Amino acid sequence: MNLFYKIVVPVFFIASLQANAQIKNAKTEILTVQGNCNMCKETIEKTATEKKVSEAAWDKDSHKLTLTYDSTKTTSDALLKKVAYAGYDNEKYLAPTEAYNKLPGCCQYDRQAEASAQTAMHESHMGKTQETPAETSILKEVYTSYFTLKDALVKSNGVAAATASAQLVKALKAVPMDKMEHSAHMVWMKNLPALQEGAEHIAETKDIKHQRDHFVTLSDALYTVAKAFEMDETVYYQHCPMYNNGKGANWLSLDKEVKNPYYGSKMLSCGSTTETLK
Amino acid sequence: MQKLVSICLLLLSLAVQAQNIKEYDLYVTDTVVNYTGKSIEAIAINGKIPGPELHFTEGDTAVIRVHNMMHHETSVHWHGLLLPNEEDGVPYLTTVPIKPMSVHTYKFPLKQSGTYWYHSHTMLQEQSGMYGAFIIHKKDEPKMPEYTMLLSDWTDLNPHQVERMLHKENDWFSIKKGATQNYGQAIKQGKFGTKFTNEWKRMRAMDVSDVYYERFFANGKTDVEAPEFKPGDKVRIRIINGSSSTYFWLNYAGGKMDVVASDGSEVVPVPVDRFIVGTSETYDVIVTIPPKGVAYELAATSEDRMGQTSLWLGKGVKQLANPLQRLNYFEGMQMMNDMITLGGNMKDIGMKMSLQQMDMNVVMYPEISGAQMNEMNMQGMDSKKMDGMQDMKGYDHYSMQGNSSIVTLNYNMLKSPVKTTLPDKPFRELHFTLTGNMNRYVWTADNKTISETDKILIKAGENVRIIITNNSMMRHPMHLHGHFFRVVNQHGEYSPLKNVLDIMPMETDTIEFNASEEYGDWFFHCHILYHMMSGMGRIFTYKNSPPNPQLPDAAAALKKVYADDKRYYFSADVGLESNGSDGELRLENTRNFIDAEWRLGYNDDSGYETEAHIGRYLDNKQFLAVYTGWDFRYHNTLDRERNFFGQQSTQAQRAVACLGVIYVLPWFVESDLRVDHKGNVRLQFTRQDIPVTSRLRLWGSWNTDYEYSVGSRYILTRYWSLSAHYDSDMGLGGGLAFTY
Repeated sequence: MNLFYKIVVPVFFIASLQANAQIKNAKTEILTVQGNCNMCKETIEKTATEKKVSEAAWDKDSHKLTLTYDSTKTTSDALLKKVAYAGYDNEKYLAPTEAYNKLPGCCQYDRQAEASAQTAMHESHMGKTQETPAETSILKEVYTSYFTLKDALVKSNGVAAATASAQLVKALKAVPMDKMEHSAHMVWMKNLPALQEGAEHIAETKDIKHQRDHFVTLSDALYTVAKAFEMDETVYYQHCPMYNNGKGANWLSLDKEVKNPYYGSKMLSCGSTTETLK
Repeated sequence: MQKLVSICLLLLSLAVQAQNIKEYDLYVTDTVVNYTGKSIEAIAINGKIPGPELHFTEGDTAVIRVHNMMHHETSVHWHGLLLPNEEDGVPYLTTVPIKPMSVHTYKFPLKQSGTYWYHSHTMLQEQSGMYGAFIIHKKDEPKMPEYTMLLSDWTDLNPHQVERMLHKENDWFSIKKGATQNYGQAIKQGKFGTKFTNEWKRMRAMDVSDVYYERFFANGKTDVEAPEFKPGDKVRIRIINGSSSTYFWLNYAGGKMDVVASDGSEVVPVPVDRFIVGTSETYDVIVTIPPKGVAYELAATSEDRMGQTSLWLGKGVKQLANPLQRLNYFEGMQMMNDMITLGGNMKDIGMKMSLQQMDMNVVMYPEISGAQMNEMNMQGMDSKKMDGMQDMKGYDHYSMQGNSSIVTLNYNMLKSPVKTTLPDKPFRELHFTLTGNMNRYVWTADNKTISETDKILIKAGENVRIIITNNSMMRHPMHLHGHFFRVVNQHGEYSPLKNVLDIMPMETDTIEFNASEEYGDWFFHCHILYHMMSGMGRIFTYKNSPPNPQLPDAAAALKKVYADDKRYYFSADVGLESNGSDGELRLENTRNFIDAEWRLGYNDDSGYETEAHIGRYLDNKQFLAVYTGWDFRYHNTLDRERNFFGQQSTQAQRAVACLGVIYVLPWFVESDLRVDHKGNVRLQFTRQDIPVTSRLRLWGSWNTDYEYSVGSRYILTRYWSLSAHYDSDMGLGGGLAFTY
């Protein structure tokens, strides 16, 4: 026992000290980093923090990042570069376009310096834009039956949902794939199994809960497809944050106004539009 | 040293510009650099790495004095220049080597303009820093701001160690890169079958490049700033890939770049989002300087995505270019599996691929693997062949992700502004197949090294057409000295002129040139330094060339040229474990090997054994070898009276000479059948280095004397591993293993 106190405890003590050790050769700087929400805050701080090397705290309102780092191991320049790669413009680096575009919608702060420059550049080179052949009519039946299905779920009508879904199964089979442009076709082929499976399951049952579960994957697949094809009417991609114990679920709708197919009248207007497809 | 450098600089600044003679003095010195925290020997020109940027005007006569202030010989080759053969600077082949502490003067008229470079052509000196830019301006060039970006790669290892490790098939570089593509990783990604098939077909984990580099540089720095340009300026960036074995992807934060020249010769401007610069290629691009307050990144990322170097154009906050993503190694592996036969050859799948338009590497690039396949110019593949493509599983789903708006340069997009048709002379047609053995790092054309082939005779004035196919698994930048060739593409009469052709695995390209020189030997070789040194190339020689006064003993000189690819490499594996020591020392070159093995226990029970062999590889793929050697051993016990073949076992005591055959079976199982002078036969199966995780290797062995062993090794450092194994003679043991 004695041994335990003499050796093991000190060892643990030292180890724990080590873990919580203050940053050595600490230098603190306050720097400007763009961003606009708490999610931004989390990402920025996480990116600029390195174990035992740097600590970061970002303020949403002032856009100021307080950076404390071991000046023998890193530089504020290196840390700000990482922050920019994560999507956030700052006083030394501007984020790559792709990194900014990948930020969640709520994090896409207004860019300042970058915007003017990039647009000027692009105009001079935007000679040819990709032409997408009109393929809208190809998927018309699919959309129609999907929206009928969705409306049935909004009304919590399991029987109507099953009927609409049976219609969707037929529509999926009837799609003229030979008229698709190559890349769109590839997207179609990848998502078709999920679409078919989802539609078949919904058609087979009248249990609204089961139908809604399958509607999640069905909607996700159709969303991916919708993005690859040209639309002839505006479709809204909407999100319910609560469904499935807070995991959330999405759907497509022709109405901008939210009518939640996952909860029906219980919380009809819960959710938001995350993307507008045209 | 300081003094020396200042003298050098003074002399350089004095470079006379009398009439049309332009003189430079280059002082080559051994130096020590510190890029990573370690002091490393390197070679500097005029005190710098890279050497000075030389500027000339077309029509000038260049007079360049190279002062070798080192204790070993050197040389300078003027890459891409059209010049008299003896000025070409290939030591022993065209030009006398520059001996230690001596001066050599090069003098040649400049008959061309554009972006070129110079580098040592002696052994591996290029990797140590001996290169620089060589810019020739047009006489009446319109004034345009310009900037030269000379790219290079840097390793802290001695380049000779790098070369030796490549030949030993040491996977230390893969470990450093995180590219071992081991079974553990494969299982995690659901690619076990892919990995197993890959090894079944006797392919080692392959990467797009072989060497791990600590740093990549633009003009000797990781980040280089050029704030001197005005916002909105159009600037010509002269990009030179002066690396030893790295391809770089270039992309610009300011969007598209206009490619206006390649390898020094002009092309019709073509706007692209990104392009790859093969080792030793040059490209000129025109980019726009950002508005006030912003600097744009021109990023050069190594093809293996292990690092990058950046040029910042403009002044202000730095706009980063889009980073390139990590490679999908297993996608590439799957692709190779689909394309390679069990015998290690490329399957004929009816696809004609050429001019960098598509290759198996493309599937490994996550950011373009989609778009490429759709947008790619598919001429040369008719619809029937496309059906063949559908059969190759794994192909079509690549077209799904990816940004279809990215325009990537390929050779088919290059168009000369003037006709490049050759004079109306007879054509001589040559076919080359580029071949290689990754496992032993033997790189060849038509399975022969430079030293194993005769020079190729050409007649002054005739046209030479080379049809070249890459049947190896890596890309090769093939460089022709002293001539431009046409890269035959969709533009026909306006096919572009180049002097380096990057040819990707499975591609077939056609190049043509007029033998417009009068005499001499001209090198045609892969510009990946370690491939060239292993013998990948040929020598073109003009018929009836006069003797070269710089090389009075032509035969002895040629021997020196051939010696480069005949060298032997030493390697060793030594284990020190609790049950004894076993190990192997080995010397090998392109075709031959000599090795000595031992298994020594600590007592008579575990026994003592030693074997030695001299052997030779026989087939192109080097799966088959024969050897002769001896085997001595003593044990005080005998496990079995008879061996597998029913012969009296000589396991306990043996002193024999033997003859044997080694054949590498699928999944890298090495089978070794031998007979000794007493008529005893032994067949042994061994599998070494099964990569389980990045650093853990398993191995096993069994033979017809009923001896067996299994073991594992955990790689700690470049030289040391922890090891443990069980041996039927020596029992269980653990300890350390040394790998050299």
